[in-house]
Amino acid sequence: MRGLIAKTLRETRFTIILLVLSLGAMEMLLAYILPMFIGEEYGQWLKVKFIRQFVTVMLGTEVGQSISPRMIAAIAWVHMMVLAIVFSQAIAFCTRVPAGEVDRGTVDCLLALPVSRKKLYLCESLVWLLAGMLTVLIGLAGNAIGGRGAPEEMKMTWRQSLIVITNLYCLYLAVGGITWLVSSLSDRRGRAVGVVLAIVLGSFFLNFISQFWNPAKSLAFLGVLNYYRPLMILRNGAWPVADISTLVGVGGVAWLFGGIIFARRDIRTT
Amino acid sequence: MMSLISVDNLTKRYGRRTGVVGLDFNVPAGAMFGFLGPNGAGKTTTIRVLLGFLRPTGGKAGVFGLNTWRDSARIKAEVGYVPGDLRFYPWLTCKSALKIFGQVRGRDLMPAGAELSQDFDLDPDVRVRSMSRGMRQKLGLILALVHEPRLLVLDEPTASLDPLMQKKLYDHLRSLVSAGHTVFFSSHTLSEVEQLCDHVVILREGKLVADETLENLRARARRDVTIVWQDSVKLDAVTVPGFIDVYERHNRQWSASLTGSATELIRWGAQQPIEDLTIGQPDLARLFEQYYE
Repeated sequence: MRGLIAKTLRETRFTIILLVLSLGAMEMLLAYILPMFIGEEYGQWLKVKFIRQFVTVMLGTEVGQSISPRMIAAIAWVHMMVLAIVFSQAIAFCTRVPAGEVDRGTVDCLLALPVSRKKLYLCESLVWLLAGMLTVLIGLAGNAIGGRGAPEEMKMTWRQSLIVITNLYCLYLAVGGITWLVSSLSDRRGRAVGVVLAIVLGSFFLNFISQFWNPAKSLAFLGVLNYYRPLMILRNGAWPVADISTLVGVGGVAWLFGGIIFARRDIRTT
Repeated sequence: MMSLISVDNLTKRYGRRTGVVGLDFNVPAGAMFGFLGPNGAGKTTTIRVLLGFLRPTGGKAGVFGLNTWRDSARIKAEVGYVPGDLRFYPWLTCKSALKIFGQVRGRDLMPAGAELSQDFDLDPDVRVRSMSRGMRQKLGLILALVHEPRLLVLDEPTASLDPLMQKKLYDHLRSLVSAGHTVFFSSHTLSEVEQLCDHVVILREGKLVADETLENLRARARRDVTIVWQDSVKLDAVTVPGFIDVYERHNRQWSASLTGSATELIRWGAQQPIEDLTIGQPDLARLFEQYYE
């Protein structure tokens, strides 16, 4: 187990660190800049229906017609770049095995070792879980550092922070779990990345059009972004148990099926 | 002798395409076993089944008496494998590979690895991304040999090695076999199998066409015979005996295949006005060609 984890870390450390630092820096920047947007003059933008709908999609809940400090604070956790970094971490990591290994032909070298595929999958998954944890924690640290000078009403309590990053981590688990499943079904990493990106973008698109188009509202529950709502957390301070359970459930089931498929499938490199 | 590998009516299909059909063979412990066939014959498919990469569609395959699909991890603890299309992680060096492989195998592979890398003349600190194909092949061989496996599975291992390294590899393989280890050597090159192996299985289009000892094959292979007649002989009047098959007549020199025994030929030759008679080695190449065609 130690050797496999060492190999995985050796292979992924640069990408993990790069994305972790990117999220930390992004959060720091957002937490520093966003307080500047509190004020009536910026609130006018929300009177434009399209912009209000767009912000609603991003925040995952109705925003009303004025900008509140909480809303601004929540944007730091739903910004496109933040989500892109978190999704990249999950997708880049989880498409490596087996799709990436089969694609580049190194799977023969890996599977020639006396380890079962289940053990290999578990070792890889362990590093994936830790990488995600590190990512959201560094994101939180960046947010705390960047937001030191923010007004008091914008600052999140530790409890709120914990709930928000837990929700974000669960989103990472859901996207990662789906990625494991797709990766297990594929022999080409590029194809696996493409499929997962299509799923993630589809989820965003579904969320987006459900704001304008009623028939799409009934399908909005299918998108993973529907279960990530930091503004709700900042407003009511409660644990979004249903959202978290759904994300963990989706991620867990997809991960489990990914593991079963990987353990049972043929491995061919030619 | 106990079978180290047993393949029983093994079939592997990839959708509509067939990999191998109804293979049956056994590899005894301590053998240098040749696995021959042209490209696409099913050699790599069979090896991938033996290592648990592929699940058989039908039949059974076992190594050390264990099921290759169910007990793959246990089997691989005592197997060294060099794939035909060898690829490594670009960041890997021989040293880091020995460390990681040692951790996975639960033993210190560094001392034996250092010895082997010296033997194969491979710098242990060069990264795979800077290695030539031949160097990568050496790394593959070192990693397959370093834990002194009970069974060594080699899928066309000499393709990128220079003759000197090929010889070193052959020496290693011979010493492994003499120490009681088993080598399963897949190749499409007859000459190396002929040099090394004592038993061969030949595949063609996914089917087994021969499973014999080299000795038996040699006995069955025809020998080339060259006859040079004396100037006085009227060649039109010579009666060709049934135990030779003349395939070329060039002036007074005939080239033929010996279909009967050498004794018959010598006895007949002694009574003929022959200037010279040469009997060559058994021509295995021609025999293999017949299998391949």
